[in-house]
Amino acid sequence: MTGTARLLGFLLRRERLSLPWWLAGVTLLLFVQSTQSQELYGTAAELETLRQTIGANTAVIAMSGPPELLRSIGGEIVFEIFGFLAIVVALMNMFLVGRHTRADEESGRAELIRSARVGRRAPLAAALLLAGLADVAAGLLVFAVAVGTGLPIAGSALFGAAVTGVGLFFGAATAAAAQVFESTRAVYGTVAALLGAAFALRAAGDVGDGTLSWASPIGWGQRAYPFAGDRWWALLLPVAAAVLLGAVAVALLARRDLGAGLVATRLGRAQASAVLRGPYALAWRLQRGSLAGWAAGLFLAGVAYGSIAESIQDYVRDNPEIAQFLTGGADDIINAYLAVTAGMAALLAAAYGVSSVLRARTEETSGRAEVVLATATSRWTWLAGQLSVAVLGTVLTLVAFGIGEGFAYGMSVSDPGQVPRLVGVALAYVPAVWLVVGVTVLAFGWLPRPATIVAWAVIAYCAVITLFADSFGLPGWSRQASPFVHTPQVPLDAATAPPFALLTLIAAALVAAGYAGLRRRDVGY
Amino acid sequence: MGTSPQAAIEITAVHKSFGVTKALDGLDLTVAEGEVHGFLGPNGSGKTTAIRVLLGLLRPDAGQVRLLGGDPWRDADTLHRRLAYVPGDVTLWPGITGGEVIDLLGRLRGGADRRRRDDLLERFDLDPRKKARTYSKGNRQKVALIAALASDAELLLLDEPTSGLDPLMEAVFQQCVHEIKDQGRTVLLSSHILAEVEALCDRVSIIRLGRTVETGTLGELRHLTRTSIAVETSRPVTGLTGMAGVHDVVIADHHARFDVDTARLDTVIRELAPLGVRSLTSSPPTLEELFLRHYGEDGAAS
Ligand SMILES: Nc1ncnc2c1ncn2[C@@H]1O[C@H](COP(=O)(O)OP(=O)(O)O)[C@@H](O)[C@H]1O
Ligand SMILES: [Mg+2]
Repeated sequence: MTGTARLLGFLLRRERLSLPWWLAGVTLLLFVQSTQSQELYGTAAELETLRQTIGANTAVIAMSGPPELLRSIGGEIVFEIFGFLAIVVALMNMFLVGRHTRADEESGRAELIRSARVGRRAPLAAALLLAGLADVAAGLLVFAVAVGTGLPIAGSALFGAAVTGVGLFFGAATAAAAQVFESTRAVYGTVAALLGAAFALRAAGDVGDGTLSWASPIGWGQRAYPFAGDRWWALLLPVAAAVLLGAVAVALLARRDLGAGLVATRLGRAQASAVLRGPYALAWRLQRGSLAGWAAGLFLAGVAYGSIAESIQDYVRDNPEIAQFLTGGADDIINAYLAVTAGMAALLAAAYGVSSVLRARTEETSGRAEVVLATATSRWTWLAGQLSVAVLGTVLTLVAFGIGEGFAYGMSVSDPGQVPRLVGVALAYVPAVWLVVGVTVLAFGWLPRPATIVAWAVIAYCAVITLFADSFGLPGWSRQASPFVHTPQVPLDAATAPPFALLTLIAAALVAAGYAGLRRRDVGY
Repeated sequence: MGTSPQAAIEITAVHKSFGVTKALDGLDLTVAEGEVHGFLGPNGSGKTTAIRVLLGLLRPDAGQVRLLGGDPWRDADTLHRRLAYVPGDVTLWPGITGGEVIDLLGRLRGGADRRRRDDLLERFDLDPRKKARTYSKGNRQKVALIAALASDAELLLLDEPTSGLDPLMEAVFQQCVHEIKDQGRTVLLSSHILAEVEALCDRVSIIRLGRTVETGTLGELRHLTRTSIAVETSRPVTGLTGMAGVHDVVIADHHARFDVDTARLDTVIRELAPLGVRSLTSSPPTLEELFLRHYGEDGAAS
């Protein structure tokens, strides 16, 4: 354990840029939820209405938590936000511990550290301490925000502790996984799967009789019932599990060599399959994983939005102030809601499109593009390969959203026809999304170095316009540059061809202009 | 110029700057068809930049570049069918196996010889089933080398291809280059290791600060090289000091340490032999030493 303290200081310095963002995310999520919930369901009557609508809606329960939490406004806040906080904190722990254990071993950095009079267990201990500190900080922030937004102190303390508990569990789980697997990816994959399972188990448990929720670290935190019974004893579970997993990690560490795992990395193909033969196949091979991830995410978002579409009508009837957020007012609520949610999906699909185009930039800076461009592959073919994923991938993610939303909404109104209908709705936003893709290509072609920042700034701008233009009262001209303002808000507006054709045409022109830049410039920098 | 009817590579007075850094500052380089040409220079002298210009990845600010009779910037894709390239710092796609990368690069180039590929995998002792993320630097280098060597390209552009290889693999590499030379193909081999270039190359160009400072056959360049010798003799060492071509002599009784112009090596060894040589080690000078010696402070400072 020699050197643990020194190492911890070193790790804190390495994390000084990213750790604050995780904690800021936790703070912001809770702050927004707490103020919003108290505004919408501040009175006992409003809360009662909510209890009745939500208490019967299995989809919402599956996405959020046990309805028992809805006994108080604080509990309502925990009900809505705990799952998200748990995901953020779990991922934070996964990266904190993973980066400083297995990832360092894989990169060889650990060898360097170990050669500097540092005990065998010190890196693991330092990483766990680092994660523990971050978890306590997250818990304290949750407590501070909850109290600061007017919630009772005792419940707030339990709420914070429950968040810390989830973090400790996933930090220790990552430490154990890091001993078992040789590659960082496998470690992250395992922990992410564990997180998915934790969410799924509590969803099934909360919808059913609650038994399965007790198998989930997220369920443990929710079933401490902060503000709704305050059962502190439930937090013994995550603490005990974290201690156990930490001990397992230490025990496994003693049984392996530096750099090795208990499970060796699986071998792959000795020869390329017949499919992997060109720039298109390569681009799809490289991006299929992230595309599948985004599509799955959008599908789930669609399910989440679709599942509450029907109860929106009741909400708005009971809370007329919500109607102001919906363009069509209270008259055409469902369609207005579907249009707003499709707009959100379009933003996410555009973010995917940007990330996909920027893969070309990563290929370039890493030197891998150079290897391909030194073959008979022309710059155009190379770019086209990358773009084929962005262009079709954005369509696929929107289709996934439409299927998810149509499926969930169709279930609640017993109308399977909603699936094709909402897929069609989602597809109406494709041209606007392509335009953002085109802007990214333009930046990549002419301003390769700032391209990443430029492209994400465009997304941020569009998001601000879509989400806040009305509530912030931004002047009309400021939103004109967002393509999402110029696309018909289907299904509230009718879908007419001219705007789609125009948006698609502009997108194509942007891609062409971007390619012209790429053809003229040096590759590699 | 014109050592052969057609030059595979002809670079004339090429300039290339990155902001204020002048990476190439009037570079000249001629590589005849069928020769193995050493492209020597210390780190940062512009070798990689020159090769990227040859690949049409970078556009020169000024000067003429001809590659296999074409313009590498304009005719990049057609010319690339006829060449193979190994980058100095090989990065691969982490999730794809070495075998897949070799096949993919072969196909992108327009086909590779399956038998030669398998043979090379064996000779370089590379497991093709491992994902690239698990390969060491040397193994990544082997992947790129095998992909290039398995092709039947007329021209191979190799940028410090052995920097991550162990001595055993270095020997395999040298053997492969000899075979390629026997087939009459052309190789441009960038390196900062003089010994490697000496073992392989017909002609050498030395580049420093983006400019060609020497070019010629190894014999012609021999006057540039000195060999460092450490010797132990049974009789006390005498007579070395003051001999033509011998420099920096340090004598301690039965031991002596000195540098000798390689062209004079034979004379000096004859002088030593009667003293009863017990042990002798000789090491060729590193390129950096060579530059320091020939270009003095201004070489060291920049
Ligand atoms: N993209 C770039 N941006 C800025 N400077 C560069 C870039 N590429 C190379 N250089 C500089 O150009 C010079 C030559 O580099 P390089 O061609 O890589 O040399 P070598 O391959 O001989 O080591 C170095 O000073 C290097 O720092
Ligand atoms: Mg180089």
